[in-house]
Amino acid sequence: MIPQEFEYSAPTSLEEALHLISDGSAKVLAGGLSLIPLMKLRLAAPGHVVDLGRVPGLSYIREEGGKLHIGAMTTHYQIESSALVHSRCPLLAETAAHIGDVQVRNAGTIGGSVAHADPAADYPAALLALDAQVRLVTASGERTLPIQDFLVDTLTTALEPGELVAEVIVDVDVDGATGFCYQKMAHAASGFAIVGAAVRVRRSNGRVSFSRVGITGLAPKAFRATGVESLLQTPDDVASAAGAVADGIEANSDLAASAEYRCQMARVYTARALRQALARIA
Amino acid sequence: MKVAGEYLLAAAPDRAYDLLQDPEVLARCMPGCDHLARTGPDEYEMRMKMVISSIQGLFAGKVSIADQDRPAGFRLVVEGNGKVGFMRGDGLLTLVPQPGGTEVRYEGEVRVGGMIAGVGQRLLDTTAKMIIKRFFSKLAAQVDGASSSGAGA
Amino acid sequence: MSMATTVTKAETLVGRRLRRKEDPRLITGTATYVDDIQMPGMHYAAILRSPHAAARIRSLNVQPALDHPGVAAVFTGADVAGVGPVPCGASLPGLRVPAHSVLARDRVYFVGHPVAVVVATDRYVAADALDLIEVEYQPLPAVANPEKALEPGAPAVHPEWPDNLAFTYHQEGGEPDRAFAEADVVVRQRIISQRLIPTAMETRGVVADYRGAEKSLTIYSSTQIPHLMRSLVAQMLGLAENRLRVITPEVGGGFGSKLNVYAEEALMGFVAMKIGKPVKWIESRRENFQCTIHGRGHVDYYEIAARKDGAVLGLRLKLIQDLGAYHQLLTPAIPTLSVLMMPGLYKFRNVSADILGVFTNCVPTDAYRGAGRPEATHGVERMMDLLAAELRMDPAELRLLNFIGADEFPYATATGLSYDSGNYAEPLKKALDLVDYHRLREQQQQAKASGRLVGIGISTYGEICAFGPSPATPAGGWESATVKIEPSGAVTVMTGASPHGQGEETTFAQIAADELGVPIEDVIVVHGDTAIVQYGIGTFGSRGTAVGGPAVYYALQDLKAKILKFGELLLESSDVTFSGGVCTCNRTGKTVTLAQIAAASYRAMKLPPNTEPGLVATHFWEPPNFAFPFGAHIVVSEVDPETGQVEIKRYVAVDDCGKIINPLLVDGQVHGGVVQGLGQALFEQAVYDQDGQLVTGELMDYAVPKATMVPWIESDHTTTPSPVNPLGVKGVGEAGTIGCSPAVVNSVVDALGHLGVRHLDMPLTPEKLWKLIQAGGQA
Repeated sequence: MIPQEFEYSAPTSLEEALHLISDGSAKVLAGGLSLIPLMKLRLAAPGHVVDLGRVPGLSYIREEGGKLHIGAMTTHYQIESSALVHSRCPLLAETAAHIGDVQVRNAGTIGGSVAHADPAADYPAALLALDAQVRLVTASGERTLPIQDFLVDTLTTALEPGELVAEVIVDVDVDGATGFCYQKMAHAASGFAIVGAAVRVRRSNGRVSFSRVGITGLAPKAFRATGVESLLQTPDDVASAAGAVADGIEANSDLAASAEYRCQMARVYTARALRQALARIA
Repeated sequence: MKVAGEYLLAAAPDRAYDLLQDPEVLARCMPGCDHLARTGPDEYEMRMKMVISSIQGLFAGKVSIADQDRPAGFRLVVEGNGKVGFMRGDGLLTLVPQPGGTEVRYEGEVRVGGMIAGVGQRLLDTTAKMIIKRFFSKLAAQVDGASSSGAGA
Repeated sequence: MSMATTVTKAETLVGRRLRRKEDPRLITGTATYVDDIQMPGMHYAAILRSPHAAARIRSLNVQPALDHPGVAAVFTGADVAGVGPVPCGASLPGLRVPAHSVLARDRVYFVGHPVAVVVATDRYVAADALDLIEVEYQPLPAVANPEKALEPGAPAVHPEWPDNLAFTYHQEGGEPDRAFAEADVVVRQRIISQRLIPTAMETRGVVADYRGAEKSLTIYSSTQIPHLMRSLVAQMLGLAENRLRVITPEVGGGFGSKLNVYAEEALMGFVAMKIGKPVKWIESRRENFQCTIHGRGHVDYYEIAARKDGAVLGLRLKLIQDLGAYHQLLTPAIPTLSVLMMPGLYKFRNVSADILGVFTNCVPTDAYRGAGRPEATHGVERMMDLLAAELRMDPAELRLLNFIGADEFPYATATGLSYDSGNYAEPLKKALDLVDYHRLREQQQQAKASGRLVGIGISTYGEICAFGPSPATPAGGWESATVKIEPSGAVTVMTGASPHGQGEETTFAQIAADELGVPIEDVIVVHGDTAIVQYGIGTFGSRGTAVGGPAVYYALQDLKAKILKFGELLLESSDVTFSGGVCTCNRTGKTVTLAQIAAASYRAMKLPPNTEPGLVATHFWEPPNFAFPFGAHIVVSEVDPETGQVEIKRYVAVDDCGKIINPLLVDGQVHGGVVQGLGQALFEQAVYDQDGQLVTGELMDYAVPKATMVPWIESDHTTTPSPVNPLGVKGVGEAGTIGCSPAVVNSVVDALGHLGVRHLDMPLTPEKLWKLIQAGGQA
């Protein structure tokens, strides 16, 4: 990599890191999978890079108060392979396993991924389906935002200058009662989602009592398909409910997939994810 | 890349038309624009600093306006050149009176070259839409005390 | 997987699955590539490249870059006026050859066209300084599509040739017009073989080191052809060949893209001579995509004439070749290989082909794994399936009906070739047996009846390789070998073939160890340094083993004759045999070992009559003909009707590459070749937009197959020795690629055939197939 010259800091405490980024001019390096390729191409040329790699206490997965708290520097592989995530939030483990390849999953972090807000990243779909919250910290305080408020637009989040993603908080599913599934059509070159559908469902007396549908890749930002959720009254509604996933959506279009195709794939993958999720309910 | 959409401005067509051609307004509304100056009749030079996530691009370029048909519409050509590439947007703006304001319809083509064309394909479409959206929402904010709605399509 | 084996002398090594001698250094990361070379005083070059596909350079100001601290020099087109043009080695009647300067002069012709070179004390400074160069371009209309370039009024890539035609080429054999007039059935199809980016894992790189006092230049280059590069770069720089040394360190993949001489080799030589310091340039992946040759780039119009019983009568082809903006080393010659092989394995007695070589504002095309033969095979194998569909015949039966018979070799084709040997039905029958074809067809019918889109695709390919007799090649078709036995008895083989991943350090050692009866550990194979190795041609066109191997073999025979003479001398007998590494007197049973003979030959106390001291032999071997491998690939695929995604359920490859020296390496070549074929069939496409921007400019957008995208490949063989060389080998480096793409496409067309789909162009992307399925097969 031949980037432009930049200052590099590797703080060893969160306080030091927050101080270093407090004026908003530094770029934060987490796993580096988004920032480094941009710097290599010189599309990004930050004057100062603050590497979180040596900041202790940002990589953890723990259950607290009925929620799973995942530190920003937790790698995709740690999430994919965590017994705790598998038992308490299997949707997130399944989603993490779909990201990139093994090397990517060993380097990339959940905090880095959500902060970059790639419109085709895998996590946002799952986080929307998990009613996730993102805890942000600054040198002077902290706030917690629901994921849908955190994701603003393509590559754009609610992060303010000087603010850092500290952790992601997701709902815990009671063992077996919640069906889950992440289904993704991957771009042959990049591995990003052409579309990805993350779903959670619960049943009660033959009806669907709860559903969450998060969609990535289809629109400028990942979104919760509330239309699908409300149409999904019974397991027999899967096809018709999934059919509504692209309603009113301004679909992305690129070399890999036209807007029309993306919309249809969103319907197909949403239906597949819902069917598998329903089938997984114990 | 084709772009098309519409945006509702809470201003009458005459006023919307003037706003869309006011260099000071344009300078305020074009995302990242830090310089816009008239260089001739209906021609402006401009400088933009685009910042999208970690990506930064400095563009120098020009804006020209043609086929004026006040207040029904005009043709807008925006050209920019920078280290990360170059772009040329050529589009028609049509102003349609609506109850409570003016619907600005845009339809045109954006062509890009250089680095952004070579490595940016996956995000080009969404980024272009976002920039257009930002432009119109800033423009809407210029419309005194009025609210705006709508989105590109 | 077989285990590596330590082999004792008595066994034959040729034919064994031996692991590669090359691998330990490669898998431990200790191999030396160009970028690993460090030298005192090394400078680094970065190249400014055009962002426009066509533009006039209005002004160029390098002063801000020169003023940048750490910058040693900046050179532009005006500075390199004395450097000769980037060479084109191909010649065709009436070929238009554009002047191809190593740096653009006043105009740029494709995105990535080199405009200036910055030389600095480190590569970061060099890259920073690039950004400071001020260039004012006046963009000009560009054309990136070869068919559009042929339209009247299209932008002229080179203003002096407004028709954009670099050449036309006609070849015919037999009476094609009559064949078509008499045919019961004629089938026509336009078939595209899309532009591909070779994507070697190691990008190109050059280090140039000039020693002024000795007036000698050393160039390290990641190339397939060190000796040819030396001759051509020496010419470009006005140096005597013995003042230029080319060293090829480890090469991380070539696939034809490094069978070339690019602007950068001479440019770095020029820079090193100017600044008097060593200079290094390493190509970025983005540069690799923009500036290293692309492959394929055909639009082909095929017509096939046949009788209603299925017997083929004639074949016509109009081939539009996207050449790009310039000719690289072999650019215009590549489509002529397609024409030579257009009849495939079939008895087409009447053929006619017209090539239109078209300039476009794109990077030049040139040899990429298969080079002209994948395009030809794809064409004829698609046409055979179209004919089978038209006649409602089974595609396997139609092929078996039309194959050249096993008793007809050598077979003179209508395109003027002489196929050396073959038994084309054998690999097809073997592949059909392996998949249990008739049962498979029944299963397919059941699957289709239940709404599944399952297809079976057959491709039978023949390829021309082992390039080749010298009169038929641009730069000599022979290959060279020197075998040296050191005084200790250790054996060094020097090959001119410059292998770069094919494994000849192992296969040639197998040959030498067998011939000399020594352990394979005693043999080393040296290549890739023009100051050490005798002149050679290089590795490309599946020629390394098929032409380089016989050279080694014959050098060994010369050496064995000399060993025998020394054996006779030392054993004081005229009845001596050399075998198993020892000379034995057949009368007394006394023996003398190769090491004893070697020592005696260098000590030279006594010499046999008319014999020089030492044990060294060099052989330049000229092949009497090409070799023609063949085979059959069968693919079972299933298309997801909801998404259009293709899943390869089964891949069976039965290849016949003549005698096999190392089955492990042959399987590796087949696997790698098939994977690159799958890349073309399913994923890869270099896309230029209407303005000539390469929009698949990085690996994020250009999809090369990854391990997880590749099916299990069942590889098997038949063995039909080639009569053209003493080893009976044919070549296998490109076979997998050539056999693959038509088998995949035929299978998918078969899966969708009941919807009325009769042809699909590559790559078979999900959206393309989904749209067809949605439209009920109507494109």
